[in-house]
Amino acid sequence: MHVQISDLCFDYSSSKTPTVSDFSLHMQEGEIVSILGESGSGKSTILRLIAGLETPKKGCIQVGDRAFCQGDGVYLPVEKRGLGMVFQDYALFPHMTVEANIMFGLKRWKRAERKQRAAEMLELIHMEDFRKRYPYELSGGQQQRVALARALAPKPSLLLLDEPFSNLDAHLQQRIRDELRNTIKHTGTTTIFVTHDEEDARVLADRVVMVEKGAVKQVGRPCDILKETFRGQTAHVEA
Amino acid sequence: MKIKGRVPTTVSGWGALALFSVLLLVLPSSFLVIRIFQPASENWEHIREYMLQNYMMDTLLLAFWTGLFSVAIGTALAWIVSAYDFPFRGTLKWALLMPLAIPPYIGAYTYHGMLNYTGVIQVTLRDHFDTEVSQRYFDIMNMPGAVFIFTIFLYPYIYAITRAFFARQATSLVENARVLGSGPVRTFLYVVVPVARGAIVAGVTLVVLEVLNDYGVVSYFGIQTFSTAIFQTWFAFGDLDAAIKLAGILMGIVLVLLLLEKFLRGRRQFSYSNTKVSPLKPQSLKGWQKWLTVAFTGSIFCLGFVIPVAQLTYWSVLTYEDIFSETFLTLIRNSALAAGTAALGVVVIAVVIANFTRMAKGVVPAVTSRLTVLGYSIPGAVIAVGVISFFIYLDEKLAALYDLTGASSALVLSTSLIMLLFAYIIRFMAVGYNSIEAGFDKIGMKFTEASRTLGMGWTETFLRVDLKMIRPAVFSGFILVFVDILKELPLTLILRPFNFETLASMAYRYASDERIQEAALSSMFIVLVSGIAMFIFHILIEKEPN
Repeated sequence: MHVQISDLCFDYSSSKTPTVSDFSLHMQEGEIVSILGESGSGKSTILRLIAGLETPKKGCIQVGDRAFCQGDGVYLPVEKRGLGMVFQDYALFPHMTVEANIMFGLKRWKRAERKQRAAEMLELIHMEDFRKRYPYELSGGQQQRVALARALAPKPSLLLLDEPFSNLDAHLQQRIRDELRNTIKHTGTTTIFVTHDEEDARVLADRVVMVEKGAVKQVGRPCDILKETFRGQTAHVEA
Repeated sequence: MKIKGRVPTTVSGWGALALFSVLLLVLPSSFLVIRIFQPASENWEHIREYMLQNYMMDTLLLAFWTGLFSVAIGTALAWIVSAYDFPFRGTLKWALLMPLAIPPYIGAYTYHGMLNYTGVIQVTLRDHFDTEVSQRYFDIMNMPGAVFIFTIFLYPYIYAITRAFFARQATSLVENARVLGSGPVRTFLYVVVPVARGAIVAGVTLVVLEVLNDYGVVSYFGIQTFSTAIFQTWFAFGDLDAAIKLAGILMGIVLVLLLLEKFLRGRRQFSYSNTKVSPLKPQSLKGWQKWLTVAFTGSIFCLGFVIPVAQLTYWSVLTYEDIFSETFLTLIRNSALAAGTAALGVVVIAVVIANFTRMAKGVVPAVTSRLTVLGYSIPGAVIAVGVISFFIYLDEKLAALYDLTGASSALVLSTSLIMLLFAYIIRFMAVGYNSIEAGFDKIGMKFTEASRTLGMGWTETFLRVDLKMIRPAVFSGFILVFVDILKELPLTLILRPFNFETLASMAYRYASDERIQEAALSSMFIVLVSGIAMFIFHILIEKEPN
């Protein structure tokens, strides 16, 4: 198993009930898993725990052959985990160009390689002409693609997406979902994404984990556990 | 399988740096607390017996009346400008802030110079109207005069805070009151003022702190407050211990004031910031009401800015040739050097502490943050006494080292510019810190977290992302502190090294030698720089969407 998360527990000091309790998830390499839940279900916290932005109270996280956290005091700080993360509002650095944003995570690479990689990523997201633009000069959809490219550029062992479509216009979502899935599948990156939208999960995920009150409620293939209403659209995407 | 709550080593590195800075900032004040309880000297007995009551009375009277009048003028102006439309409203909205560009001590001797026997008013009356009026009508060097000076130059604190509050918060309440049939006066007294209580109290606290901090006005007018008393005890009697005791009492007054503020603000929060609030729609004024409003707001602006600036300009032109020389350039250089270095120190320390308090959670960072801004409520004379005793102590401890290096004097640190800069940093830390903390709040944590997921540590993230993004906040913090130091008087007067004069100290020296016209050029320079800075900031704030 490429990703092994077991018995993850966490609570914010301000709340009495645990935010995340005994969350476990195992993933194969290249798999796309969606964590689906209402707002306040603890799904974003799970993502932040995996990323290392919060420290779990207990539990193990292992990705590839590296342990992120384990009972015996092993705790890898966020910057050492080699993950990619796309934030809900993208968090593109406003003072850097598109290219500089994408190259930001490649600090240990040689200069020529960095340029090369940035060019590859820009090609992947079809934005070669936007290399020197600044984030504020881009549309919402373009910003999202740059954020994805930035996260994928260092070849992360695991990609985390936090509500990737919540900031996009509804009519864009369909197209961008397809694009996103193609890009991720193209790079073969193992991906976890968090959403409250069943349609996102249906289109993007190989597997869906439904969470409620910080605990896993149901796991399965989207076609098995999600309601049938949008079947037609799913078929269209898979075709 | 429990995971221990580990603090990453970099965070503890930042923490150590931040805690060390805070320790330096509070050390002089803690020195005072320790030394307050030392046995009293003969001077102290004398002061306590014959003078303490006067100091107390004058200080409290001054603070009380200034506070009262500032609240009346500041709140009324804020309401008029927010709720009504009248000619020149757009200009007056920012013009009414401008008196803040004139330090009260400069305003004090400017008004005195205008009103005295050879001043422009009496001369005009004599020469053109052949009228001789009794001198006592023109004497402002007394308690009411000081209250006038402080009120007219400090009310903008209340005006600014209250107006900002009206713009954000008052709309729905005021509109409701109007719908319910309440007229303008009733709405103002029963809805607006109670709702804005928090803002008004915050403003008047700043005003009173400025009054307690002041040395220039009261010493020029010969009013016996704690600030002047601390100066006299230290300079005239050379009695540091008695000065420390006075400083302790003054600190006590400040403490009571701050508690009073907390109490008066109350626990009820009138905050509607969650809902989207549209700004108040100003009502058009007609006829005599319109012109009365223009006359009232305009005359406050004239008294607080136009008249003193016109007078200073005239004097500057008169004395320009004598004053503008090599010496004057040295004054500018000294002022810029002192203000620039100290402001740099402030922003560097503020950035370190603010970055630590946002990274770490819990009690320690919260306390650190509170202690950092403490200096602003401590009057200059108190900080001065604290810093002096701290530096003399350091010199005593380092005496052996001085001997070793063959220094000519036993007092190295306590006669150096470092002491003054250190005091500036303590006093104006809050100004820089608030600006930088607001900058960090504005960008939030998301960019930091994005950078961290991309493999950057705390320090690298700070240098490559955070610092670049809070640059405007760092810059505005620097400018605000720079301007404040440029205007500062009490610390400069007590702590400056021998023969080190700044624009402010020189202006004060000229004025107290009754060479008021010669003081004008330095004063104009200070007013100009702080006026420009204020104007730019006003434009920046108005431009911002929120």
